[in-house]
Amino acid sequence: MPLLEIRNLVVRYGEIEALRGVTIAVEAGQVVTLLGANGAGKSTTLRAISGLAKPTSGEILFDGESIAGLGPESIVRLGISHVPEGRRVFPGLTVKENIMLGASNRKASSAQISREADAMFDLFPDIRAFADALGWTLSGGQLQMVAVARALMAKPRLLLLDEPSLGLAPVIVQAVFRIISQIRKDTTVLLVEQNARMGLSVADHGFVLETGRIVLGGKPDELWGNEAIAAAYLGGHAKASA
Amino acid sequence: MDLVLQLLFTGIGIGAVYALVALGFVLIFRATNVVNFAQGEFSMVAAYLMVVFSVDLGWPYWLSFLLALGGMALLGVIFNLGVYYPLRHRTFLPVIIATIGASILLANSVLAIYGPQPQVLQGWFDTPGIQLGPVYLDSQYLLIIAVTIALVFFNYWFFEKTLLGKKLQATSQDKEMASLLGISVSTMIMITFIYSAVLGGLAGILVAPVLFVSIQMGSTIALKAFAATIIGGFGDVAGAIIGGLALGVIETFGAAYISVPYKDGFAFLVLVAFLIFRPQGIFGERVAEKA
Repeated sequence: MPLLEIRNLVVRYGEIEALRGVTIAVEAGQVVTLLGANGAGKSTTLRAISGLAKPTSGEILFDGESIAGLGPESIVRLGISHVPEGRRVFPGLTVKENIMLGASNRKASSAQISREADAMFDLFPDIRAFADALGWTLSGGQLQMVAVARALMAKPRLLLLDEPSLGLAPVIVQAVFRIISQIRKDTTVLLVEQNARMGLSVADHGFVLETGRIVLGGKPDELWGNEAIAAAYLGGHAKASA
Repeated sequence: MDLVLQLLFTGIGIGAVYALVALGFVLIFRATNVVNFAQGEFSMVAAYLMVVFSVDLGWPYWLSFLLALGGMALLGVIFNLGVYYPLRHRTFLPVIIATIGASILLANSVLAIYGPQPQVLQGWFDTPGIQLGPVYLDSQYLLIIAVTIALVFFNYWFFEKTLLGKKLQATSQDKEMASLLGISVSTMIMITFIYSAVLGGLAGILVAPVLFVSIQMGSTIALKAFAATIIGGFGDVAGAIIGGLALGVIETFGAAYISVPYKDGFAFLVLVAFLIFRPQGIFGERVAEKA
């Protein structure tokens, strides 16, 4: 049984049908990447999983249980953490406080949470020096690290990552993806990316989303191999690097 | 010089009341992005609750005080569920209109029960005050200042040193993200309303023996407190407190040295001056932190 299974998911925002029947499965222990152009419905898929967007129809099963229609506060308690687009680090709180609040989905003393937050800096040494800096003072790459560290504090079984590379310099993007390949040892990851090359480099499986529908799914090399798709969604140089 | 010290004491005392109400404004604004126009009525209702328990029923002052604050906590819950919660997904305008409606409802409910005659509430202490050198320290003003100082420290400790305080701040900065982390946004907003109602109530109970207990006391205090939040820098906790104290001192000096009938006018003159020359308020630039 897959850890996460989505069947025929439809999400409407008013008149607009953002998702028109999305079906994907994420096996435990995998990194699955969802690719697609702007507006294809990648973020909406993640928002539906984490409870921020209400599904119009279709099923979302986590560990075999239906979670469609639950609120975000309940879903994060079941073990799904969502790092949304734009990182959303609380600007008026310090880095450490942001990370500590990641544990809000479970019962633990604040002393315990504080120790765990300190330990989190071992995985993210680049932000250790900024522990007491306010969120708004950080750079994009630092914000991304804080957002991921905060999500990991929830001890999720499934981590949803929305465009972690967006707006970051190439060297920072590589640092972020190094962290993703570390995280995958303990956590299943569903990754949304526009940067197809980076997105597929860490993936066990990929799906391509086009105007609210899955048009292709497979192992990364199968996706690279499909020429028409590679040209359209994965960038014109797909063949050269495949 | 003696007069200056005396006026400073009185000004800080009355300013402390504005500061407490202003703090209530700011906390609700930060949590819900809406100005609660019934904040002043919280002070008025609490003062009348004191009249009910302490004067009408003759219960001990401390018991009446605790019951009145308990009543305010309950009013905070009812206000949140009845006024804010049903409209929480709407724009700010329906919510503001609802708070104005609630303020009219509260004022007229009290009017229907007590009539328009102001009521008198005794102060906490039997001794009217103490003479300290040239300055006469009124016991009620001393109490107001002491309680306000204690609350400023409590507020700092609560919001900066506790995890619950951090969750409240997180909720006021980004509700959607807070909910993704498992923070119960509706509980955080409930706590904010309870806390603000108790703060407003405390201000009303403390100032009641200095003024009369009247239907209008809420709107008078609220207007000054609102001016204080703008002078301090809207949405800023420290700004609300400094703004409140400054306003109390300014209007007290204005009344003494320029004109008593125009006492209320000075507060608004300062407000207008700030709106023209420094609309972001004293601590205004820190608002950028919320962007």
